[in-house]
Amino acid sequence: MTGRTAAVRRPSLLRRVAGENSAVRRFDGLMLVAVAGLCVIGTLLVWSSTRTWAPGATGLVKKHLLNQALGVVLCGIVASIDHRAMRAYAPLVFLMSLVGLGLVITPLGATINGSHSWILLGGGFAVQPSEFAKVGLLLITAMLLAQPAEGSDRPRGFDVVLALLAAALTIGLVMLQPDLGTAMVLAVIAASALIIAGVRKRWIAALTMVAGAGVFAVFYFQLLEPYQVARFTAFVDPSVDPRGVGYNSTQSLIAIGSGQLLGKGLLGGGQTTGRFVPEQHTDFIFTVAGEEFGFLGSVTVVLLLGVVLLRGLKIARQCEDRFGTLVAGTIVCWFAFQMFINVGMTIGIMPITGLPLPFVSYGGTATFANLIAVGLLQAIRVRGHSFS
Amino acid sequence: MLRLGSPRRRINIGLIGMTFVLSIFAGRLIQMQGLDTKVYAAAAADQRQHTEDIPAKRGSITDVNGHELAVTVEARDVSIDPSKVPAGARANMAAILAKHLGKDQQDIAAKLARTDTRYQLLARGVDPVVASRLLQARVPALSAKNTYRRLYPAGDLAGSLIGFVGDEGDGLGGMEQARNSLLAGRDGEMRVETGRDGLRIPMTSSQRTAPVNGRDVRLTIDRDIQWAAQKSIGEQVRESGADSGTVIVMDVRTAQIIAMANSPELDLNNWRKAPASSYVNKAAADVFEPGSTNKVITAAAALEAGVVRPDTVFEVPDRIRCADQVLRDAHAHKTESMTFRQAMAQSSNVATIMAARKVGSEGLYRMLKAFGFGTRPGGGVPGAEAGLLPDYKKWSGSQSCTVAYGQGVSVTALQMASVYQTIANGGVKIDPQIVAGTTDPSGRFVPAPAGKQTRVVSQTTAKEITAMLEGAVGEEGTGQLAAIPGYRVAGKTGTANRYDAELGRYDGYTASFVGFSPADHPRLVVLSVLQNPKNGHFGGQLAAPVFKDVMTFAIKSRKIPPTGSAAPPVRTRAGQ
Repeated sequence: MTGRTAAVRRPSLLRRVAGENSAVRRFDGLMLVAVAGLCVIGTLLVWSSTRTWAPGATGLVKKHLLNQALGVVLCGIVASIDHRAMRAYAPLVFLMSLVGLGLVITPLGATINGSHSWILLGGGFAVQPSEFAKVGLLLITAMLLAQPAEGSDRPRGFDVVLALLAAALTIGLVMLQPDLGTAMVLAVIAASALIIAGVRKRWIAALTMVAGAGVFAVFYFQLLEPYQVARFTAFVDPSVDPRGVGYNSTQSLIAIGSGQLLGKGLLGGGQTTGRFVPEQHTDFIFTVAGEEFGFLGSVTVVLLLGVVLLRGLKIARQCEDRFGTLVAGTIVCWFAFQMFINVGMTIGIMPITGLPLPFVSYGGTATFANLIAVGLLQAIRVRGHSFS
Repeated sequence: MLRLGSPRRRINIGLIGMTFVLSIFAGRLIQMQGLDTKVYAAAAADQRQHTEDIPAKRGSITDVNGHELAVTVEARDVSIDPSKVPAGARANMAAILAKHLGKDQQDIAAKLARTDTRYQLLARGVDPVVASRLLQARVPALSAKNTYRRLYPAGDLAGSLIGFVGDEGDGLGGMEQARNSLLAGRDGEMRVETGRDGLRIPMTSSQRTAPVNGRDVRLTIDRDIQWAAQKSIGEQVRESGADSGTVIVMDVRTAQIIAMANSPELDLNNWRKAPASSYVNKAAADVFEPGSTNKVITAAAALEAGVVRPDTVFEVPDRIRCADQVLRDAHAHKTESMTFRQAMAQSSNVATIMAARKVGSEGLYRMLKAFGFGTRPGGGVPGAEAGLLPDYKKWSGSQSCTVAYGQGVSVTALQMASVYQTIANGGVKIDPQIVAGTTDPSGRFVPAPAGKQTRVVSQTTAKEITAMLEGAVGEEGTGQLAAIPGYRVAGKTGTANRYDAELGRYDGYTASFVGFSPADHPRLVVLSVLQNPKNGHFGGQLAAPVFKDVMTFAIKSRKIPPTGSAAPPVRTRAGQ
C-alpha cells in the first residue's frame, strides 16, 4: 500500500526522465537517431572488414562495441551538465588535454601503426590524447571568445591572442608526434571558433595569410615527411604510382565504384574481404559501406552525417548564449572537416589524409571524443534556449 | 541583450556550405556507383579473379603388350615467395632447398634474392614425397603446385620414335608430338577469387572445369624385339665405325612395325643433353640411296611386264656404257652367261641394267611409284619422309640405268622395308602401322584400323622374286651371312655409294640388308642399314649379320616354327 501511495505522490523515475519538462524531452532526437545509426553501421562495417583477420579478429568488434558503450555513457554525463558550468571548467579540461599530449612525448607514450600518439593503459587498451585535445581546445577557445569587448559584439583582441596561443600550443604538441591530420583538425577548430565569434574580417584575412605562409614554409623547408608529399602528388594524379602511393586511392575507388546501386551485401564485398583497401576498418571504412551497401548505403551514411551537421548548426543558431553557440558551431565544423576529408579522400576528391570518419571508424578515443561532443551539443540544446 | 547577428549569419553561410559539399558527395557517388560502376566493377573483378590450370594427366605410350614406354606420374612444381624470406635466412635456405631439389645452390640463392618478386619457380616435376617433406618443414614462403611429370621407364628404347615432352606439356618429338592432342587431353581450370595476399577469399564462388585426361596409345612395337634390334645395330654401328644405323622389324601380313631401332638412340630421360640430330626418328626420316636392295623393283617391273623370266639368260660383261658413263659391277669379271635369278643372287649391276632397258624408264618409274617411292607413307609413323623419286622424264641418260640398281633415287629405311613386306605378302602392299590402338574416353582399348592394302605385283611375280631373294642368301649369293640355320630366308644385300649432303658429293657407303623369313611362309621382314661405315662397307658383310641376329631373336620371340621345307634347288649357272 505504501509503495502505491509513494507512486502517487512522487513522479516515477520514468516520468522524471522522460516527462514533459524533462531534459530528455528536449534532446535533439533526430541527431541522436542519426548518431546511433552511424554507430550501428560502423559496427557492421568494422565487423565486415576485420572478420577474416587472424585469430583475435572478432575481439576488435567487441572492443568497438565496448568503446561505443563507454562513449554513450560519457555522452550522457556531458549532456546532463549545464554547458554554462562547463565554461568554468574549460581551462581545467584544456590543461588536462595538454598534460595528456605532454605525456605522449614522455616515455609513457607509445607508437601504434607508425604514429607516436598513444598512451598504453594496460589490458590491451590505449588512449590517444590528441582526440581529447580537440574537446579541450574547442572549450578554451569558446570560453575566451565568448566574452565580447565592451560596446561591441566582437571578442576582445587580447582574448583572440590567448585563443591563438592555446591553439598554437595544442597544435605544436600534436605536430611533435607527429600527427598532421589531427593538427589540421585542431587548426580548423580554432579557425572556426574565431570566425563564428565574429572576429574582424581583416584579422581573419591576416590569419589566413599567416596560415598560408606557414603551409608554404612547411613545403619550402621540406618539413613534411616524404610520404605526405607523395600523398598530395598521388592525389593530383593517382596514375603516377598505382602500386605505391596511388594504391590506396585507386583501391578505394574500385571498392566503392564496384558496389553499384545495392552493394554486394554485408560480408559479400570481395574487395573488402580480399583486403585490397588498406586501413579499411579505420580511415577507409567508407569504402566498406560503398562496396557492401552500394549507392543506397553510402548515400545513407552521407545523409546521416548531414543530419548530424545540420542539426548541430541548428543547435548553434538557436542557442541564446554566445558560449553555447561557439561550442556548438565549432563542434559542427570539426565534424564537418573530418567527414569531408575522410569521405572525400575515399571517393577521390580529397588527398589521402589519415583522419577517421566520426562515429563510423574503429578507434576508442575518437569514439569517446565524438560522443562527448554529441553530449555537449545536446547539453546546449537542452539549456541553450527557452522552449516555448 | 546580446547581438548575435554576426555569428548567426556566419553559421547560415556554414549551413549553405555544408549542404553544398554534401551534394557534391552525393553527385560523386551517383557517378561512381551508378554511371561508371561497370568500369569499377570490372577492375575489381579483374583484380580478384584468377584462373588456375588443372593439368590433365597425359596418356601413356605402351608397347604392343602394354609395357609402359612413356608414363605420367604425379609431381609438384615448387615455388617460393622471396619477399617473405628474411635476408638472414636466405643462404641457409638456399643450401637446404638446393640439396632437396637437386638444383644448383647459386641458382636457388639468386632466386631467393629476387625480393622484388613474389613468385619464383624453383623446380619443376619434383617428387611429391620430397615436396611434401619440404612443405612440412614449415617454410611459409614455399608452395607446391600439383602437376605431372613424364617418365620414360625404358630409357632410350625406341627413343626417337617415342619422342619427348617439353616443360609446357607438349610433345616435342616422335609419337609424343605426332599424337600430342590425343595424349595430352585437355587441361581443366579453376576460377577463384583471391585477395591481395594471393589467398582465396572466403565465401566467394569458384568455377571448376574438370580436366579431360589424355588417352593411352599402344604401339605395335614389341619391347623385347625392339631391345634386341637396338642392341644388335648399336654393336654393329660401333664395330663398323658407322655414322648411324637402323633396324626395322615388320609383320608381313599386317605391316605392323614390331621394332624400329636407331643407333645412336636418344635417351628420353636426358633428352635435353642429347644432340638435336638424335631427336629425329632416322628409320622414317633419313633419306638415302638404297643401292642393290632396289633391284627387286627392277626385277618386279621386268617380270610383271613379261620381258624377263627368272631363267632368262643374259650375257653379262663387268661393265656397260650408259649415256656418258661406264657403269660397273662390284667385282671385275669376264663376260659370262647368267640367268636373271643368278644375276640377282650375285647382285650384278650390269645384268640389272640390261633387264631395266627391256622395261624402259617409264615402266621402271611406275613400279617404283607403286612400291611407294616418292610418297610419304601412311600409317602414322612420326617423322616419315617421302624420299626422292624424280620423274622419269627428268632422268639423265645414266640415271635411267643407275635407278635400276638403287642409285640416283632416295628412300627411307621404312620405305625399303615396305617394299620387302609387299613381296613377302604376295605382292600386296600395306601401309606400315605403328599404332596398335588407343583407349577411348572410358579407358577401353580400341584397336587401330588395319592399314590400307594395295596390290603392287601379282602373286606369281612376288613368288618368283622371293625365290630369287632366297638365292641371294644361298651359297652363291651376296647375303650368305644372313642365313639362319633351320629357317628359309629371302633377302637382298645393298652396298650403295652414299651421297653426303654436307660435303655435297658422294662419300662413303650405305650398307644394307633387307629380307624376310620364312621364305615360303613369310612372317617377318627385317631391314638393317648402316650409314658410312669405316671398317668394311659391303651390305652382305656388315648388315646381313645384324639381320640374322635380329631375325633369329624375333622368330624365337614370336615362336615362329620352321616351315620344314627345303629351299628349292637354285639353278644359278646358265644352262645348268
